Amino acid sequence: MSKKFILKRTIFWILTIIIILVVIGPLIWIYLTAFKSPNDIFTSELSRQFIFTPTLDNFKRLFTQFAFFGSLLNTIIISVASTIIVMIIAVPAAYSFSRWNTGGGHILFVTISTRMFPAVVAALPFFILFRNLGLLDTHIGLILLYMYFNVSFATFLLYGFFRDVPIELEQAALIDGYGRFNIFRKVVLPLVLPGIVTTSVFCLIWSWNEFLYAFLFTRSSAKTMTVLISSFWGSIEIQYGPMAAGAAIGVLPTLIAAWFMQRYIVRGLTFGAVKG
Amino acid sequence: MAGIKLENVSKYYGRKMAIDNLSFSCKEGEFFSILGPTGAGKTTILKMIAGIESITSGSIYFNDIKVNELQPHARNVSMAFETYNLYSHFNVYDNIAFPLRAPKWKLKLTKAEEKEKVTEIAKFLGIDVLLDRKPQHLSGGQKQRVALARALVRKPEIYLLDEPIAHLDAKLKFSTQTLLREFAIEYGSTILYVTHDYKEALALSDRMMILRHGKIEQIGTPEEIYYSPETDFAGRLVGEPPMNIIDGELIKDNKNTIFKVGDSFSYRLNKELASKAEKVSEKKGGKNSARMGIRCEDIKISKEKISENSFKLPIYAVVHEAESSIISFELKNTFMHSRISSGNKFKISENIWVDFDPERIFFYEKTMEISKF
Repeated sequence: MSKKFILKRTIFWILTIIIILVVIGPLIWIYLTAFKSPNDIFTSELSRQFIFTPTLDNFKRLFTQFAFFGSLLNTIIISVASTIIVMIIAVPAAYSFSRWNTGGGHILFVTISTRMFPAVVAALPFFILFRNLGLLDTHIGLILLYMYFNVSFATFLLYGFFRDVPIELEQAALIDGYGRFNIFRKVVLPLVLPGIVTTSVFCLIWSWNEFLYAFLFTRSSAKTMTVLISSFWGSIEIQYGPMAAGAAIGVLPTLIAAWFMQRYIVRGLTFGAVKG
Repeated sequence: MAGIKLENVSKYYGRKMAIDNLSFSCKEGEFFSILGPTGAGKTTILKMIAGIESITSGSIYFNDIKVNELQPHARNVSMAFETYNLYSHFNVYDNIAFPLRAPKWKLKLTKAEEKEKVTEIAKFLGIDVLLDRKPQHLSGGQKQRVALARALVRKPEIYLLDEPIAHLDAKLKFSTQTLLREFAIEYGSTILYVTHDYKEALALSDRMMILRHGKIEQIGTPEEIYYSPETDFAGRLVGEPPMNIIDGELIKDNKNTIFKVGDSFSYRLNKELASKAEKVSEKKGGKNSARMGIRCEDIKISKEKISENSFKLPIYAVVHEAESSIISFELKNTFMHSRISSGNKFKISENIWVDFDPERIFFYEKTMEISKF
């Protein structure tokens, strides 16, 4: 082995370890803290940071003293519902943009442009609109908002996937005796299914994690998990235990999705966006 | 079954002309081939007939019924694509059965009937062992036969076959060609067949059309196309080696007309040929240039003088093929090839007697450039 090779390897591993620490560090902290008693959380002894008697107290408190279950349910309802609606709108929209260049590119641009400004810019007008419509602190309000933000993203992503389905396949099916709707159902849909799954997961994760609008637009009845977790950071004290326990549950679906679908997502993304 | 008629059909992609004012008809039950080089517009014609490509102007008729505005599925044609276009999420069986299941045809086959039809056509094309495979796991030739099977499984008004055997290996190509001919005769179906291989077109067609840059060059039976090509392009496209095209000069000498190429080669034309040559000759800078065409098998060679009109040339090359030999001669601006049954007795650089069959000499207007090699 040459010196150059060893140097290359060393640099590679140092960088890899740094990246892994940066990514996994917070997760380790969350899961360690979630199972610690307050004494272990605030200790200054380094050994007790990692070696301690695990406890489920934080989770118990989370579900008994705080309305965590309700907020988790809110998050589930809002993210799942918004994702379903987003897909119902975005799938035909993307198909139409990719096949018939509907609107000559202008409508597609307008759709995408909704993601070109910082989300907070739209917060105030939306707030006034939602207050007047009585949509503040409602499930439907947040579902509509998330739909607004995700439709553009989903349409753009799906647009790439649909463009990768050769138009000749649809022409073949037309000649084989199928109408437009059946072609979409039997030929196009099965081929873009990886893309639809990938896009849905992205939308789901985005709405699951969304904080800013949930924080501004909900108070109690539609309060989502992210907002509840943030409330543990109070003006008087920071309740690290319940906060970590809540976060531990909150990141779980995302982690599971990423774990099981990493290949699918990477393939889906390159399949859709890069080649398109 | 239906006949097809195209009337003044044009197709433009933006400003680029693909098909130029094309009119032809294909009779009911006819095997009609479209032959042309890449980019001639062959596939475009099929797609326009299928209805998946719009036409810029003109009309298409099936049995005198105008189909311009009809959707592809209302035209009742089937098509085999050169690019296969197999449904990758289906296995071979489902791919072939797909047209049979289309609601449009109202076939309503039972599972058993469907299976019978699919297996029959798959067996016919020798792909019955592949029925469970996905298209991704097939070779190019297998995919092509699946695409062909999908087109042939149904009995539509018209079959449109776009280079359906182009990607098969030579042996399979030959056997599939025979099967196609058998299929055409058995079902008496109208088949529009696109190919760039003149051998396929000659072997299969009742009639064929030569297409060049979206225009018809010649329509005729394979015999007419091969034995009396109407243009230099048609002559060059059909035949291997291609028809000898010799550019020369017409010179009047006493009462004779001589076709002269450079200083080394001159050929005396009889009256009939002379008048043919005059008709298409081009006067330029005091010269009267003409283009002669003759197929390689119509050039006789011998060590002894063949006729009054024969002339002597040195041999440039001898190439032995399986059943015959090609003898080449170098002329001023081109090579001339002659096909004879055996070239064993001839040697390179040997001066031998050459003779043209005057009945088989053509004169053409110059419509294309011929490169020496």
